Amino acid sequence: MPEIRLEHVTKRFEKFVAVDDLNLHIDEHDFITLLGPSGCGKTTTLRMIAGLETPTEGRITIGDKVVFDAQTGINVSPAKRDIGFLFQNYALWPHMTVYQNIAFGLENLKWKKEDIKARVQEMLEMLRIEEFVGRYPAELSGGQQQRVAIARTLAPKPQVLFMDEPLSNLDAKLRSEMRTELKRLHSDSNSTFVYVTHDQLEAMTLATKICLMEKGVLQQYDPPLTVYSQPANRFVADFVGNPTMNFIDARVTDGCVMEFLGIKARFTPNDASEAIKASEVVLGIRPEFFTICEGGKIKATAYSTLPSGMETTVKVKLADELVSSVVFGAIDYAVDQPICCDIIGNQICVFDKETTSRVSIGKLEVL
Amino acid sequence: MAEMVINTRPKRKLIYRVRDFVTKPENIILLVTVVVLGFFTIYPVVLLVSNTLKVNIADLFYPELFGKKVGSLTTFHWRRMLFSDMSATYFWVPLKNAVVMSLLASIIAIIFGGVVAFLITRTDLKFKKFFSTVFIFPYIMPSWTIATFWINFFQNPKIGNYQSGMLYYLTGITLPEKFVYGLVPCAIVLGLHYAPFAYILIGGILRNMDANLEEAATILKASRAKIIRKITLPIVLPALMSTFLLVFSSSMSAYAVPQFLGGTGGFRVLTTTLKQFITNGWYGQGYIMAIFMIIFGLAILGINQRVTGSRKNFTTVTGKSGQISYIKLGVWKWIAAVILIIVCSFCSFMPLVSFALESCTMIPGDYSTLTLKFWIDPGYPLQNGLHGLFHETQVWSAFRNSLVLSLSCALIAGTVGILIGYAVSKRRGSRLAKLADNLAFLPYLMPSMAMGAAFLAIGSAMGLSKTMALLVLVGAIKYLPFASRSGINAMLQLSGEIEEAALIVNVPWYKRMLKIIFPIQKSTFISGYLLPFTSCMRELSLFTLLSSGSIYLMTTLLEYWQIWCYQSANALNLLIVVTVLAINLLVNKLTGASIDKGVGG
Repeated sequence: MPEIRLEHVTKRFEKFVAVDDLNLHIDEHDFITLLGPSGCGKTTTLRMIAGLETPTEGRITIGDKVVFDAQTGINVSPAKRDIGFLFQNYALWPHMTVYQNIAFGLENLKWKKEDIKARVQEMLEMLRIEEFVGRYPAELSGGQQQRVAIARTLAPKPQVLFMDEPLSNLDAKLRSEMRTELKRLHSDSNSTFVYVTHDQLEAMTLATKICLMEKGVLQQYDPPLTVYSQPANRFVADFVGNPTMNFIDARVTDGCVMEFLGIKARFTPNDASEAIKASEVVLGIRPEFFTICEGGKIKATAYSTLPSGMETTVKVKLADELVSSVVFGAIDYAVDQPICCDIIGNQICVFDKETTSRVSIGKLEVL
Repeated sequence: MAEMVINTRPKRKLIYRVRDFVTKPENIILLVTVVVLGFFTIYPVVLLVSNTLKVNIADLFYPELFGKKVGSLTTFHWRRMLFSDMSATYFWVPLKNAVVMSLLASIIAIIFGGVVAFLITRTDLKFKKFFSTVFIFPYIMPSWTIATFWINFFQNPKIGNYQSGMLYYLTGITLPEKFVYGLVPCAIVLGLHYAPFAYILIGGILRNMDANLEEAATILKASRAKIIRKITLPIVLPALMSTFLLVFSSSMSAYAVPQFLGGTGGFRVLTTTLKQFITNGWYGQGYIMAIFMIIFGLAILGINQRVTGSRKNFTTVTGKSGQISYIKLGVWKWIAAVILIIVCSFCSFMPLVSFALESCTMIPGDYSTLTLKFWIDPGYPLQNGLHGLFHETQVWSAFRNSLVLSLSCALIAGTVGILIGYAVSKRRGSRLAKLADNLAFLPYLMPSMAMGAAFLAIGSAMGLSKTMALLVLVGAIKYLPFASRSGINAMLQLSGEIEEAALIVNVPWYKRMLKIIFPIQKSTFISGYLLPFTSCMRELSLFTLLSSGSIYLMTTLLEYWQIWCYQSANALNLLIVVTVLAINLLVNKLTGASIDKGVGG
């Protein structure tokens, strides 16, 4: 269970920069998700670590072995990096049976016949696909193919496991089932996992650490809950969480009083050193911190209500702007019904208007 | 109310159902298609068979048939063809020749086309873009292009027409006759002609094949050689088999190449023998040959169906394979590129150069005697009995005939194709639609030469012999598959709601077709018109039996001139090839369709 280190890794296709000066340190036994919108360079990053793509610059180390170094010209082939790779579309060989698919890698490792048989059997049992052993991939359902692909990847006991959006081709129910199993697999197998996804929920629920990228540049590399509650910038704040964070332009007077949407509020940073200096900022308020409550100081109307059973999303109309609010439980407001709101908690973000990076985090008290 | 519904249901009268059926245009189209095409499928076969059992005028010279009445029944033709002292010459030898030639041609096409496809899709070969364009040229050009060039290039004074060729003129090398005429050159030339076809099919599979399949094997520590052997090859194998069978079937029914390159050594295949029978007036034996060609063609395609329909068929494997690492060839990427440039220019550019040069020589193959006489001389006939090409009335009438024929065929096939596409997609899944779809595709599977023979029989049975109408009929039916395929594809992409939206506001059927459906899928429909047109312009084997001695087309005129009028034939050849290339280029630019992107074959 080795660690992985990326130093100044850059990948250019002709003029297009896919990954720009990426530095990343993945600890042993981590479960990392590379998260970002499509085209952000996450798959390219994964393929570079695996050796399927050659970086333009930089250095990649797996364990204590340098597998790529642009300066010294080291470029270890993917076959010698001791890794496993789970492809988005499974990439099962259509002309081989389930057994042959799983055994192929072990044969290449020159395992003994009985050892191969035993290991394949073990994998089949673990993933509950024994009855399909003689079938061809085309005769399996999506979820079954997925399991075969996992079995094939895990059979040679790779130290590092790379996964490229492995669940995106499955239906919602199966996806959540497989998520549970992947998390289990991670703690059982002792390997390091690197997982590519564009689904923020998947990243939140699976990872020990999220690496969020945009346009080839690393935005934030932190545990999921840190990414959620202390986003490094507006992009991260916007990308993670559903419904998305409310962004509201605010004017700062007096250093700590903010004016927005006809409201005046006092901002108290959690860390005194993060006092606001600018006069124009963007407030980031998560929907759950913009609550609807009796006696709330903010007077607004309900624009529309979207109950989903366990929780209810309310679009609140305030000074001709819409603000999302999430309330626990099922409520249904009539259209344009007057309601009272409040801003709670001490995790209200303040972003710089120009650079979009987060300048402060703290409490917002409506005056 | 509920009771009434239950009661009226079984009582719905037949007459109402019939009325409902015929008020829908799609039903009428399907019905007419099935009846007409069914007639032109079954009737010719019946005619062919019955004609093999009849006595023809020319047959009266045989002592066995002497004094018999023309048209009376006889099994003489079958006996003579299969069980007489002549059966070897008439049937078994041509069959053996055709099979050997087609086998060799398929192997050459697969290896050559397959290797190029692999180089282009999987390695870092140089000038890929150039090759992928130029390599398919020979397939767009008429099938005899390389064959006639082969003669121009390798001919020498000791063999064939005793004239000098390019190679001899430049180097003095004389190749033995076996290499210039007969089996070997026929196989090579057909192989070169169909290599682009193999390239298109195999390249398509390799391109669509998910690169992850190979990467997955790399990560599981398989070597390059093992990946090709255990992963790539098995996955493309069904496609390879299918390509092999299609090329084999096409070569079996190839006519122009063995006709031009057969030489005097008596290298005859099924098609050339068939042509000889018909020219001699021995229709009985000619039709027997045609029947066998149809049987062979259908048998091969039946095998192909089984190959591509089996459990382990992966030709449709697709996936995101955008990110692929090419095999690094090192120095070989240059060496392979140079070799390919030489071969490509031999097959694609040199023929044009050679036709131009030969058409301008006073003495064939002697480039010191250049003249433009054979192109522009309006005066008294040249030594070959013709005027300069631009002043030769035969050329102009042939050109007009070809144009009229191609236009008519394209108009009929294209329009019928759209209608069939519309009707089939409307009644998708119904038995009638399936039948119409299959019948419209059937002509594609028929060997051209055999189809020509069948329509020769139809012509004489219906009194259409030697008329343009017969040529238009056979051409329109032969190229219907191109049009019906693009028609069906276009209609399947179109959701039915688009037409229903107009139906609700009571727009009549013809207006829905003209104002809504046609404009939306314009380019696909237009390609359904243009593909028959281009293919018709370069067709020889379909028309050679039907037009001989009556209506000359550009292609049949060339066939006729090839023997006697060397320079003029080369000039005409250049004219045809350039016309075909130009039209195809224009069509490609306008609609994106091209012969090489058609249904193949």
